[in-house]
Amino acid sequence: MTTELGIAVVNGVFRGSVYALVALGIVLIYRASGVFNFAQAEFGTTGLFAAYIGIELWQWPYWLGLLFGLAAAVAMGLATERLVINPLRNSSRVTLLVGTAGVALAAIGIQFWQSNEQPIRSMPKLVEGVAFQPFGAAITYQHLITFVVLIVVALALAVFFRSPSGLAIQAAQQEGTAAELVGISVRRVSMMTWGIAALLGGLAGVLSGPNLTFTAGFLTFGAGAALLPGFMAAVLGGMKSMPGALFGGLLVGVIEQFGNLSILSDVSGGGAMMLFLFLLVVLLLRPQGLFVRKAVAA
Amino acid sequence: MTETLPETPEESTRELPPVEAEQVTEATRVTEAVDDTDDDAAPFRPGIGGWIARGLIWALLAWVVFALPGNILSPFELGVSDVGHASKAAIFAIIGLSLNVLIGYTGTISLGHQAFVGVGAFVSAYVVVDMGLEFWVAVPIAAAVGGLQAALLGAISLRLTGLYFALVTLAYGLFAEETLFGITAFTGGEGGKNVPRPLGFEDDYTFYYLCLAFLAAVLWVDWRLMRSKGGRALQALRENPRVASSYGINVKAYTLMAFVVSGIFASIGGALLAQQSTFLVPKTFSFQLALIFILMTVVGGLRNRVGVVIGSVVFALLEEGTLVHLLHLEGILDSTIGLPAEFFGLVIGPILLLLTITLYPGGIGQQIAPIAQWLRGRKFDIHAGKVTEVEVTDVRA
Repeated sequence: MTTELGIAVVNGVFRGSVYALVALGIVLIYRASGVFNFAQAEFGTTGLFAAYIGIELWQWPYWLGLLFGLAAAVAMGLATERLVINPLRNSSRVTLLVGTAGVALAAIGIQFWQSNEQPIRSMPKLVEGVAFQPFGAAITYQHLITFVVLIVVALALAVFFRSPSGLAIQAAQQEGTAAELVGISVRRVSMMTWGIAALLGGLAGVLSGPNLTFTAGFLTFGAGAALLPGFMAAVLGGMKSMPGALFGGLLVGVIEQFGNLSILSDVSGGGAMMLFLFLLVVLLLRPQGLFVRKAVAA
Repeated sequence: MTETLPETPEESTRELPPVEAEQVTEATRVTEAVDDTDDDAAPFRPGIGGWIARGLIWALLAWVVFALPGNILSPFELGVSDVGHASKAAIFAIIGLSLNVLIGYTGTISLGHQAFVGVGAFVSAYVVVDMGLEFWVAVPIAAAVGGLQAALLGAISLRLTGLYFALVTLAYGLFAEETLFGITAFTGGEGGKNVPRPLGFEDDYTFYYLCLAFLAAVLWVDWRLMRSKGGRALQALRENPRVASSYGINVKAYTLMAFVVSGIFASIGGALLAQQSTFLVPKTFSFQLALIFILMTVVGGLRNRVGVVIGSVVFALLEEGTLVHLLHLEGILDSTIGLPAEFFGLVIGPILLLLTITLYPGGIGQQIAPIAQWLRGRKFDIHAGKVTEVEVTDVRA
């Protein structure tokens, strides 16, 4: 039992790193545009497909393919901001939400269309092989790299938000009009936020893609679905806290793995059940989030 | 009218106790703003030619809805599969109306509607196949179970509002998809279930009319509900829940009621869907389907029944490229941009959505407003249904 729990925790933490990356992007965008971004996971899948095309079809070196994938994700993020979010900035949240869902569906549709001939694909890992095996759970180098990237990204974001550009972003998110008055371009800040968020989504995509085979919509509802866990992680952090989203992602990953324990082996989809129950409990008992001291003002 | 004649019903309500009267006037004002039924003093009456033209269009519409799919008086030779698509379109319209109750009337968004539809489908299939009962028994049971699960989920989670509630429905949808529909004894598992159609409606043509009858019933119930006290309360609380509750409207109870109504409609749609496909697998009810339901409702135009029905029909036909096949556009699309017909809906549908919400926030309901007005015997006014009238109010967050 202890071994099993240990495996669940270790697997959960490494699976949760992907959720945390997605959740960080969701929190960034929620703070900037006040919208639940349903296209966040699709930034990842799009980046993954672009990287795959670069590496497998055009035979580029791996690092160039990764860069290409991330660039594609950022381009998609910027295009979303310009073409969908900016024109809709005065409409209601439901319209914005539907807009991002539309972006996600459009991306999935294009992926299905373009991968028609070979729907199931697989990409080589950055470094093949198993790094170590705590409790017998095989942790590959890919998992390890994802985790390290998450930590690096989190530190980089923490430093960035203390730099002038980062402070400008925070100012514009808190009070747009006042920020404009002191000379911050809200438009540029909005684009920067979406670009960074898309970069995080792209990282989640290119790093988690090689773990399994992937299809269109891989991160949204495919085998590596990270959209709902990402949202849950963001909610655990109260939707506005970056460290909260980070730890929330890891926690959600562990909780989901508990659904695969042998006591639940009779139940199909144990992971989804655990997530649903956990979300209900959290939202009913602590709607302001788990990792927040005081309630976030609306 | 109301200013000059003190004896109108609206004036007399002023005599009632203040809370009640305020509530009524508030609600009527909202209804008027939405429906735009009251016009200026001198109503426009079309001439004989105008009436004939309108009658012809009405007849054409009736022909498209009733006769065309049944190959009556039709120049096209529609096959059985085409009628299947027509039935599916009618069922999607029911689902769209169910979602409209939620998003349109109460301003809460459900991202797990595929679960509601799926529960209806599997309960109805279970009653028909495993218990050996009639379809006519299965539909009320499915509706009851659908209403019950909505009531349960709503009772637990409706203290959350707005986007958080949407998140719960999203998690519920995935939970239902993977856990509930994964129970083999209930759903038949991956192998699926073969659902026979009710007696007298076995063939696709008669089944289409059955779906149409259900759609008409749902439309009628929806219309009557929105004219009731509860419907007016919903409209008031969507505009501003705090003001509504200060007028004595029980916001939570009415939202829960709308949630249950939506669940019942969706289950009826699901029960029909089980019969329509005749072969039911859990895989059908994926998150993608939930997204498509939301797209078709919003593109159709919230709070506009005709718009929602048209939007649902368009999206039902866009799936699997039916519309492309019907219009014989496969060759053009394939040769120009290399888009195969079966991906047409997947690629074009969302782009259509993005164009609609950025250019016409009122959706198809807004776009067809001038024609709809004209058909109801008014002047043709290209500016009818302009943005201010169909303003999409906020989800409470």
